Parts: sequence; structure tokens; C-alpha cells
Amino acid sequence: MTTYTVYKEQLPGLFEKWSKLYTLHVPAKLREGFYDLVPWKKDLEIAWDYDVAYNSAKRFVMPPHEALISYDRRTCEAAPVFEAPKQILFGMHPYDVKALNQLDQLMEGGSPDQNYIRRREATVVMAFEPLTVSSAAFWASVGAASVAHGYDLYWTKISPASFMVEVGSVRGEELLLMNGALLSSTAGDKEGARRAKARILAKARKNSLRYNWEETPRLLAKCWDSPLWRRYSQMCLACGSCNTVCPTCYCFDIREESDDQLDTGVRYREWDGCMLESFAKVAGNHNFRPKAQDRYRHRYFRKGKYIYDKIGELGCVGCGRCVRACTAAIANPLKVFNELWEETAHEY
Amino acid sequence: MSTKLFSPYVPRPVTLVEKTQLSDFVTRFTFEQDNGKPLAHKPGQFVNLSIYGIGEAPFSISSPPRRTKITFEIAVRRIGAVTSALHALEPGTKVGIRGPYGSSFPVMKFVGKDVLIVAGGLGYIPLRSLLFYQLRHRDEFGRIVLMVGTRDPKERIFVDEIAELAKSGEVEVMETVDVPDSTWKGNVGVITTLLPKVELDPANTFVAMVGPPIMYRFVIAECRKKGIASEQIFVSLERKMKCGLGKCGHCQINELNTCIDGPVFCYTDIEAYQEAI
Repeated sequence: MTTYTVYKEQLPGLFEKWSKLYTLHVPAKLREGFYDLVPWKKDLEIAWDYDVAYNSAKRFVMPPHEALISYDRRTCEAAPVFEAPKQILFGMHPYDVKALNQLDQLMEGGSPDQNYIRRREATVVMAFEPLTVSSAAFWASVGAASVAHGYDLYWTKISPASFMVEVGSVRGEELLLMNGALLSSTAGDKEGARRAKARILAKARKNSLRYNWEETPRLLAKCWDSPLWRRYSQMCLACGSCNTVCPTCYCFDIREESDDQLDTGVRYREWDGCMLESFAKVAGNHNFRPKAQDRYRHRYFRKGKYIYDKIGELGCVGCGRCVRACTAAIANPLKVFNELWEETAHEY
Repeated sequence: MSTKLFSPYVPRPVTLVEKTQLSDFVTRFTFEQDNGKPLAHKPGQFVNLSIYGIGEAPFSISSPPRRTKITFEIAVRRIGAVTSALHALEPGTKVGIRGPYGSSFPVMKFVGKDVLIVAGGLGYIPLRSLLFYQLRHRDEFGRIVLMVGTRDPKERIFVDEIAELAKSGEVEVMETVDVPDSTWKGNVGVITTLLPKVELDPANTFVAMVGPPIMYRFVIAECRKKGIASEQIFVSLERKMKCGLGKCGHCQINELNTCIDGPVFCYTDIEAYQEAI
């Protein structure tokens, strides 16, 4: 593992260089308690201690509205549309990198999604060890406190003015060394990084599942008929906010837009959400998930079982975004899973 | 705009060569592949059909696999944006298709066995692909029993074709309508009422069924009553297949993607899924 120690005063120079080659996104405060990744510009204050970016990183690799093909109705010809801006996502927390790794697996498996893959390949991920934990987050208890891959560089703040940077890819190292050689991290720096990680992990463990997260699929398998689904979903507004902010929700609709002569146009995909009422509706108006309860349960099964059965990880990384976004205060995977656990505890 | 770049979302052109009205709302469309190749599908698979400017929708292939012909058929009920636009097309028009996608009826398993085909409403459309494939290899199968159920006589489709099949003696045809009119002389009642009327050898009979969502539960129950095992029952399920690639999430039945794991399922494989039937 190659690690370098980087000092804060070296950053503006690096950011300057990178921003000429890539669109550089960094965490910034939009207003009190509200953060997001925004394009870097000179003198922008980086929110090192942000708790969670209110948008997840999926928008960078799978934008809310993305052209897939262009067509000409007159000739019936169609061609793929690819757009893959070169971008650096600086300051992503590990749970978000984990979510991105999950999207990678799902979009690359089976029929590889070329639009996704191209964007992902043009995206440099610079992870950052969190300094603050969102009050709604529980990532430490769902196996998302750390990631082993998926980043080009991993930054850990080890003193008020310095970082230890772990190299995750050749591309990452080249970017890091663009302004010349850097010092290799000393044993002391590495120890500092280890402590920083331990510190944040202790904070993050305050919100925890009451059981080992790997039990979730087995737990859900017993809970299809739980009264919980109805209890919570009866307040659901079917707004899809939880889907929108979720870093691992990737369902989409396919639509198209023509010019005013209806001759040429673009077919695009647009974020869709399984919580929206018409999500499973087919021609003739038959809805395969007509009730809020069906849709609510489906989402939790996807997060806790279906994705797990496919790739061996929970489909929830514990970022807590849905908890904050839900107007009806019913989206809360931690609460849902813990309550289901209690409901069935006598069976263990 | 380079066409050399690959994307699974890009349809290829096919040309509409024939249009046959089957009922007030249902029309059969015959297409020819512009690439000059047979569609190379299996009975039970579907294509995603594009009418540019309107949209894309999944349709079951109604014709049997053809080794030398480049035509294929779908039959469609006029009900939404894409199907209405499709009905308005004239022969000679080009549309786009992707696919064939999805699983198919395991015809090799049916070899040497009796086959019961249960078609509710538009279910005859995909089952026709299986049926005519079997008829081309008629000697390789035992009895073929076809049950067709329709809401009312006016909505019956492929009427002459089904009458021909009955006359040919190759297929035992049983038909019923839910609501008769003055012209109807045949069976009356939902399709499940046909099952008690036929003698089947349960150990030697495979079942293929397609119909409206409500139908499966009852027909399966009747089949089980006759002693036909779950492993011998095959269903094709409809969901909203948008991408056809197992990505977009719309067609999920619990964790299954109908577009790649289905649409044809062995009943054993979906019995445990609450959202399936």
C-alpha cells in the first residue's frame, strides 16, 4: 500500500492543475447543516467536516436524465449516445464509494450498461475519511465504514494541516504527484490515520443495528407478512424522495423526446422510483404493486435481501439520506430492520 | 454519431409487411428483419418494439421460430400510446426492435409428452409460437390439448386458425367464453371450467399457460387437482419490461427480473415468490 503525506498548503496548487483536466467536485456547505459536492473554484471553502452530501454520487455516473440513443424516424435509424465527462469526485465518504462499487457490479453484470461504464471510467474517486457523522447515519453497522477498492485516492486527515493519502490506482497516483514528488507517509502518519479512523468509527457506531447486518436477508425472509409494512406505509406519500436520494437506488424509466416535426429525437433514461404508484403498472392499468404497503415492502426487500442475494452485500449503505428526505418520517432502514428484528427475536 | 459504438439500447430496423385485423382491438403484425436474418427466437420470448417519437414497449413473439424466413409476427391489442401508433402504421413502414429477450418454453422437455396449452384472452398470442413449433414437429409430441378462454365471443382472436386446428385432428381444441351472446353455441364459463372436462395422464402431461394475472392461480390449482406436478407446469408472466436487460427494475417479481429470468417460468421456481402469481 503506497501512502503519501500531503499538506493543506499543497492542495490549492493540485486543485488548480486537476481542474484544468477534469471537472473537480468538492464538498461545500450550501447552508447550515446542508452539504453537497459542488464544482471547485478558487477560494471555495471546502467543508471538510461535512456529515453527508444531500445528493448521492449516483448522479455523476447515472444522471437523473441521460440520453441513451438518438433516432431518425424517417430512416428508422438509431445510434447510441455516450457522454462521459472527465470528473473528479473529491471528498466522497467511504459509504458512498461502497454504494458506487455496488452500482458498478449491477450495471456491469449481465448486459453491461455502456452508458454507465463510460461515465464511471471517466470518474476519478477521491475518498475522504469522514470527520462528522450524520445523526441519521448508521453506516458503521452495515459494513460500509470502509471500502477496499473503488477509489483512486483515499484521504485521511491526520492533523489540522496534513493528510495521509492512500493510493488506490495508477491514475490516482499520477494526479497526486502532478506538482512534483511528495513525502511517503511515516509510521507516525499512518498511526495518525489509524486513530482518525478509529475515532470516527466510534462516533458512527452510536446508531447501530441490534444484530449482525449479514442476518438481514434471513430476517426479511421471515417478515413478508409483518404488520410493520402497513403500519409505516399507510403514511407514505408515494413521492419517491427516498428513491431519489438513495445512493444505491438505480431504477429508471425510458422515455423519448422528439423535435417539433417528430422527425428526429432522443431516447433517454430518467430516474424512476419503486415507491411511485405507477412503477409496476402495465398496459390496461393492471398494477402489480397497487398498495403503498406493497411498494414500501419491496423497497426494503431490495435493500435488505434481493441485492444481498445477488452480490453478497446489503443494498443499504447506511447513509441516512432517506431518513432526512422522507416527509412522512417513515423511511428509516435502521428503525425498520431493528423493529423487524425485535418482532422476530423470540424465534432465535 | 457513430454506429460502430455498441449499446444494448439501440434497436435495429424491421419492416412491417402485413397487417391482419383479428378483432375490434387486436391486430396481427408481420415484420421482416432488415438485416436479412431470421429472428432466431425461441417460443415464449419477446421483443422490445420502438416507434420513434412515441416510445418502446415489449411484445411476445407470436410466430414459431423460422429457420429460413426472415419474418416474424406479433399480435397486439390497441390500448396505449405505442400500440395505438402501431395500429396506425401501414405495410412498408419501418420500426425498431431489440431482442429477442427472455426465457422460453422448454420444448425439449415436452418431447414425447402430452402438452396442455391453456390460453386465456391474449395468452394465445405467445402460446401460438409454442403450438406451431410443436405442430412442425408433430410426431415428436403426444397429445396436444389447447384450451382457449375469452371474455366474450366478439373478443375471440385467431378464430379461423383455431377452427382449422380443431378440424385437422392434430390438436384437441376446447373453447369457452365468460359471457356468451346469441351467436355462441359452445362452452360458457371461465377457462378453469374446461379442466374438469378433459382426461389427462398427469405423470405424462406438461402444461404451458398464459393469460391475465388473475387466471394463473386458478388454473394451476385445477392442474394440481388433476395430479400434475409443479415441475410440469410452465407459465409466462407479464410485467412492465422496460429495458429488457435486467437493469431498470420495473419488471421485478420479488428478486427475479421478468425480462431475463422470465417471462417463462417453471412453476416450481416461482411458487415461493409472493409477488409472482
